[in-house]
Amino acid sequence: MPELSAITSAFGDALTLHSIGIIFGGVLLGYIVGVIPGLNRSVAIAIAIPLTFYMSAFAAIAFLIGLSKGTAAGSAVSAILLNTPGEPSSAATCLDGYPMAKNGQPRKALKVGLLASVIGDLLATLLLIVVVIPFAAVALKFGPYELAAILIFALVFIAGMAGGSFLKGMAAGGMGVILGTVGLDPETGAMRFTFGYAELMEGVPILPLVIGTLALSEMFVQLDEYRRSKDGSSIRLSNNPDDNLSYREFKRTLPTIFKSTGVGAFVGALPGLGPSVGSFMAYGLAKRSAKDPDSFGKGNPNGIAAAEAADNAVIPASYIPLFGLGIPGSVSAALLVGAFMIHGIQVGPLMLRDHPQMLFTIFAGMIVASLIMLAVGWYGLRVFARVTSVPQNIVIPVVIFLCLAGIQVQGYGTFGLLTVFGFAIFGYFLKKLDYSFVTFLVAFIVTPMLEMNLRQSVILSGGELSILLQRPIALFFVVATGLMVLHLSWSSYRLYRKRRQLTSP
Amino acid sequence: MMPDTQMLRKNVWSGLGVTLITCWLLVWLIPRYGGSGMAFGMHPQRLATLGAWVMLVCAVTLTLISFIQLRKQQTPLFASPSFAVIWHQFWPFLYVLFFIGLAIYLPLTWLAPFIVGALVMLLGERRWYVVALVAAVPTLALYLLTVHLMRIGVV
Repeated sequence: MPELSAITSAFGDALTLHSIGIIFGGVLLGYIVGVIPGLNRSVAIAIAIPLTFYMSAFAAIAFLIGLSKGTAAGSAVSAILLNTPGEPSSAATCLDGYPMAKNGQPRKALKVGLLASVIGDLLATLLLIVVVIPFAAVALKFGPYELAAILIFALVFIAGMAGGSFLKGMAAGGMGVILGTVGLDPETGAMRFTFGYAELMEGVPILPLVIGTLALSEMFVQLDEYRRSKDGSSIRLSNNPDDNLSYREFKRTLPTIFKSTGVGAFVGALPGLGPSVGSFMAYGLAKRSAKDPDSFGKGNPNGIAAAEAADNAVIPASYIPLFGLGIPGSVSAALLVGAFMIHGIQVGPLMLRDHPQMLFTIFAGMIVASLIMLAVGWYGLRVFARVTSVPQNIVIPVVIFLCLAGIQVQGYGTFGLLTVFGFAIFGYFLKKLDYSFVTFLVAFIVTPMLEMNLRQSVILSGGELSILLQRPIALFFVVATGLMVLHLSWSSYRLYRKRRQLTSP
Repeated sequence: MMPDTQMLRKNVWSGLGVTLITCWLLVWLIPRYGGSGMAFGMHPQRLATLGAWVMLVCAVTLTLISFIQLRKQQTPLFASPSFAVIWHQFWPFLYVLFFIGLAIYLPLTWLAPFIVGALVMLLGERRWYVVALVAAVPTLALYLLTVHLMRIGVV
């Protein structure tokens, strides 16, 4: 267990003016990105990673975590005022947020959303800190058999749970695995898929990959949708005295906030499910358990509180498998792994052993980010309400430029620009054809770790599968993977039969 | 609950595409470029081959299931979109590729106002001061970042 001095020292590092400034910058940028419809967390982190190259490892991660948290809270603003969620996960917020704003209470709706976001985020961050340290301490005892089995299980789980077709999820995972093997083989030194390019010797560069597949491809999708979309008009904040949130009104939302935080934290801890599932699950639960379920969808503050608390609780909770096992359970967690890799840190349980101070400082930084989020959201309410009216025809060209600039600034040159373009086409088709993006990215990120652990397992066991019988944890995950594949295949088959019965005359 | 015909079509064609690509990977690309040499434990090609097999099995299954469902619905396999739709999806790629081509010869900072400004205009903005401002601010930001903060010169 960590010493008290390490924890106090971590808080000391996170509370310096420099750290607070960096986290404030991340939260503010995240808030702005979250408020603008069409820009999402993944796009923001992908574009921001190049900015962190010149920061220290802690500053970079704190900035990105602040950004991630800011987008989650900021996306509620456009959901409430514009009926257009800044993030897909804020779609549940629209259900009650927009009617409440239309009824003349936009400020109250925004404040409920903000407070629910901050409480959900803060509680989930505390849960992360409490859970992950013992979790990582246990994970440190795992050998290559266990880690290989857990990684395979996680990939299958994410493919099945990330939404859409399980088959497409697995296929996307296969693509990620193949791309993850590009570069020098760590054991034999053999060149794999490098085609004579020195730039590929250390693998596919992560920055062009994430900027291309996440940000640039998203802009191509947005351009396609821009043709069909109509401009929405944002609701303006007024000085109506009835539009202020009283303590009594806030107190009535607290039970919903606590319950929804629990739902969000549970969903976040499971890799692949994502904040959209969490916010809709919490919304459904709040509606079912309410005394007046009919008021939901017509401007009930509990609807906003449920969706926002769960949405924001998912993000810190999704770092539990990341810091505990090294498995990124979401796109933003996978992007954080990329940022850690750029700064030469292997994220996962080894951080507890090799960089404990850094781990605690990040946790302290996360708590600071939650509090800054409250201040930014509270005092910037009027400004952010105005940002919602920035039109798409300005946002898209600027983001496309930022994608190209991010690559050039890092010195990737023509190779980087062509790589980013290639991955943008790839990402565009993944999105348009509904192949699980999160499975692809997680598979790409974990493949080097998976390969190393599989190789060590094969060497240590001499190819004997029976060794698994002496490894109960590894055996458990192997069996669980098999059962998961069977369950997901059976579910898909049942759905297919149900559809067949409905379509047959 | 009717299965989405458009999605079924996408599944058939994307599944077929992935199947063909995976066959190419398994037959030619992985054996030729996937790495060779003596290895203890796992061959350098092993994981890529495993990934390709997973893709192949999933893509073939997806194609077959979606194809059967489409046949049951008696809907055609093709639904050609109009040229206008294809062009609308295609031109942004050409636009970006054009500027990437130019960026091989000219610094991105010089191209920045044109990349942003031209696209803003193409997307319907006609107020000159908005176009000028939106084009100028990112350019200036890039210039300040690279020349004054990072001190790597004009990129």
